[in-house]
Amino acid sequence: MTKEKITNQFSASMINIEENKFKSFSKDSRTEHSFRIYDGGYAGIQLIQGSIDEAEGFRQAEKNLELKRPYNFTPETGSRHRDKSEQKLSDKELMELAHQVLDYLNTHHSDFIFKGEVSAYGKTLSMSNDLGLDVSNTDYRTSAEFVFKHKDSKDLIDGWFSIGQRTFDFKKFTDMADNYLTNFTKTVDLPEELIIQSQYYGFLSKMYDTLDAENLALGTSLFSGKIGEKIFADSFTLTHDVTDKETWFTPFFDGEGVMLPDDKYTYIKNGVILSGYADKRIADKYGVPHTGSARMNMADIPNNGFLNFRIERSDKTVKELLDGRLTVVPVMAEGGGFNEKGEYITPVQTSLLCDGEHILGRLPEFTLKGNIFDMFGKDFIGVGSDDPVFDDKQILMRMQYSK
Amino acid sequence: MYKFPEGLYADIRIERTEYAAYSVQNNEVRNNSEIPINGAMVRVYDGKMWYTSVTNDLDNIQQELDNLAAIAEPNPDILNDPAVKLYEVHKDKVLRLEGDIDNRRITRKQREDLVQGYIKECIDDSIPEIKQWYANYNQGHIIKEFYSSKGAEIVQDFQQCYIGIWYDFVVDGVPYSGGKSFCFMDFEKLKGHEKEVIEKRDRFLDYAKNAVDVTPGNYVCVLAPPVTGMFTHESFGHKSEADYMLNDKTLRDEWVMGKKVGSDLVSICDNGDMFPHRGYIAYDDEGSAPKETWLIKNGVLTGRLHDANSAAVLGEELTGNSRAQDFGCTPIVRMTNTYMDAGDTSPEDIIAGVKDGIYVYDVIYGTGQATFTMKPSMSYRIRDGKIAEPLRVNVLTGSVFETLFNIDAVGSDLEFCDISTCGKMGQSMPVSDAGPTIRVKSLNVN
Repeated sequence: MTKEKITNQFSASMINIEENKFKSFSKDSRTEHSFRIYDGGYAGIQLIQGSIDEAEGFRQAEKNLELKRPYNFTPETGSRHRDKSEQKLSDKELMELAHQVLDYLNTHHSDFIFKGEVSAYGKTLSMSNDLGLDVSNTDYRTSAEFVFKHKDSKDLIDGWFSIGQRTFDFKKFTDMADNYLTNFTKTVDLPEELIIQSQYYGFLSKMYDTLDAENLALGTSLFSGKIGEKIFADSFTLTHDVTDKETWFTPFFDGEGVMLPDDKYTYIKNGVILSGYADKRIADKYGVPHTGSARMNMADIPNNGFLNFRIERSDKTVKELLDGRLTVVPVMAEGGGFNEKGEYITPVQTSLLCDGEHILGRLPEFTLKGNIFDMFGKDFIGVGSDDPVFDDKQILMRMQYSK
Repeated sequence: MYKFPEGLYADIRIERTEYAAYSVQNNEVRNNSEIPINGAMVRVYDGKMWYTSVTNDLDNIQQELDNLAAIAEPNPDILNDPAVKLYEVHKDKVLRLEGDIDNRRITRKQREDLVQGYIKECIDDSIPEIKQWYANYNQGHIIKEFYSSKGAEIVQDFQQCYIGIWYDFVVDGVPYSGGKSFCFMDFEKLKGHEKEVIEKRDRFLDYAKNAVDVTPGNYVCVLAPPVTGMFTHESFGHKSEADYMLNDKTLRDEWVMGKKVGSDLVSICDNGDMFPHRGYIAYDDEGSAPKETWLIKNGVLTGRLHDANSAAVLGEELTGNSRAQDFGCTPIVRMTNTYMDAGDTSPEDIIAGVKDGIYVYDVIYGTGQATFTMKPSMSYRIRDGKIAEPLRVNVLTGSVFETLFNIDAVGSDLEFCDISTCGKMGQSMPVSDAGPTIRVKSLNVN
């Protein structure tokens, strides 16, 4: 019998802002534990929130062995503790920062209505077992997140911007706010060539089901039968990356305690699909590589799907990749998405014309279309080495207008 | 029970929730769990700021309250604050889900038997296009307590039971997903829907085999009742949430009461007091009783949805629409059970009146800006008043300022869809959307 325990502790302080005024100050502090007992090819697991006597937690987990949840794998071993936190603000310091942020917005962008929060969030996730596994991941982030609308706008929201950092850079925040808002009321025409400059998380959504090793094995992925084939651009490399450079609170171990070499696993290399993602159960069932991708399931046996996709950055800046061309930065693009064939169609309610670094004006509404094979294939330009418009990675790719 | 601080408004919301799940994928049990989650939100208001604390340590609530009171500024006139004045004071216990209907009495064996029964009847290994299948069950039961410094003492309950049978099909190398889900308060009502699951499965399979790509453009669209429900929620429901327009002169001028905002055929209502629909509440999360609120009556704007703050700022009545996803979230203005009222035209006649258009049979999700969107799961061409070939449609869009005027037929077949979840400001909320078949003269289709 092997005992294993996962503990997730987080705390947050938030100053909420509504219509350009402070509305609330909030504190949140919670702890949850997952108690696991492995015995005879089965796992008994119990999630418990709040404080609890450890012996009672394991007693409940042991009782759940009766459910005969199959788990035929040896728990992990190894020790590592990663604490990436830097600046930790007291509540008083956070309130001072919130005053600074709101004063800046109200002074410099008084034609806009803002709603959002300035917050500090800390989290420690730890996992240990009596075979010797002892790992923990700690991080802390200070964020400012706002939705905005112009006072004359008839819409509910015109857009949003946010920044979350280990050490809050006020200048980066004000540069971002100025860039988004200064030319917001200047209307400009859509460019003939449509190059999107955006965060890429939404565009990668289709990768979650297409790279699922089970879907690949059963033929229910668009990429089934294409392992080893080059289907995307030379410059497109997609990696599961748990180095967590950008403070997303991504732990370096998965839901089975697996740690990856260099904290990375590459699924698509230079356009070639190398493998799907699989936790131990899926890898064993389908005879495919195990990729450390078990979710942190606190209530039952681990399940497949822990992913933190990153597209490899170019060694060129956004500006260099564009080589003089203009881009469209979607700010509000809600609805639609990918269909079953991998075609992407979505209405863009708010977008901005950009030279790669500076916002030039606001564009009319339009509908965006493309398909996954072109977006990351012939139409993929790259992910810049820098983060010029907002505080995150920026993909550049050609797409088309729809009617 | 709790010692509330002087010179401050305070409330305490305690939730005790019990979740359970049982799911099977391709004959493998993927989830079989029971999870208790308890927690509380404590709030203190001094007339300028709210101070809130979230904890899952229920033994420490008084200490949390005292800590918050220590950082707020006592205000002797707090009871005359416009929002505080509006807070209702109810002392009530509304436990409608006790006894046989209480899903906490459902055993693991009963959950397993339900799911395995559907698998036996609805999974057909002889259909070659089906490559994977999923049978998912989950349930939740929640007891909510609410106490305020004005004297409110409320205990209420809520629960839901869900089952979904989903299939992954592959047709001509393209993977499709489709299925049928049900959600009721009463576990017993989940039984006996096998024929509906099979009908939906076969319809999806036919769609996957025969759907053709739509040519993008503007079309006359007939929306089936579940689609009208989502259309109602997204196109207009969100605009009726008053927290979007507190001191926003542009929106207040745009959505002024008495303004004509749609065709005479359009009447839309929100009402949280509709047990056992999914948006049911006995009281909202500020302790206010839900009201029947007609948002649009015969095309004219007649109401909007409020919490105490928005009602105080806009000088309107409370509607009981302040809701929080759970104890970790601050209540905000949300819809409950929102429906477009039925008309008197039969759905058959509505379709018969279309020479060339699109019938939107079902929908996956939608969004609710001024330009609203809906992503259909299945659509069909209408030719000469008859439903024709299936169409692959990715998204429907329209402007709220135009589309409500473009509704030229409203059916008599009002149906509630008790499976929707609404997202707003990071909070997910169970709601019910409802409507009859309607015809819209023009929607953009891609």
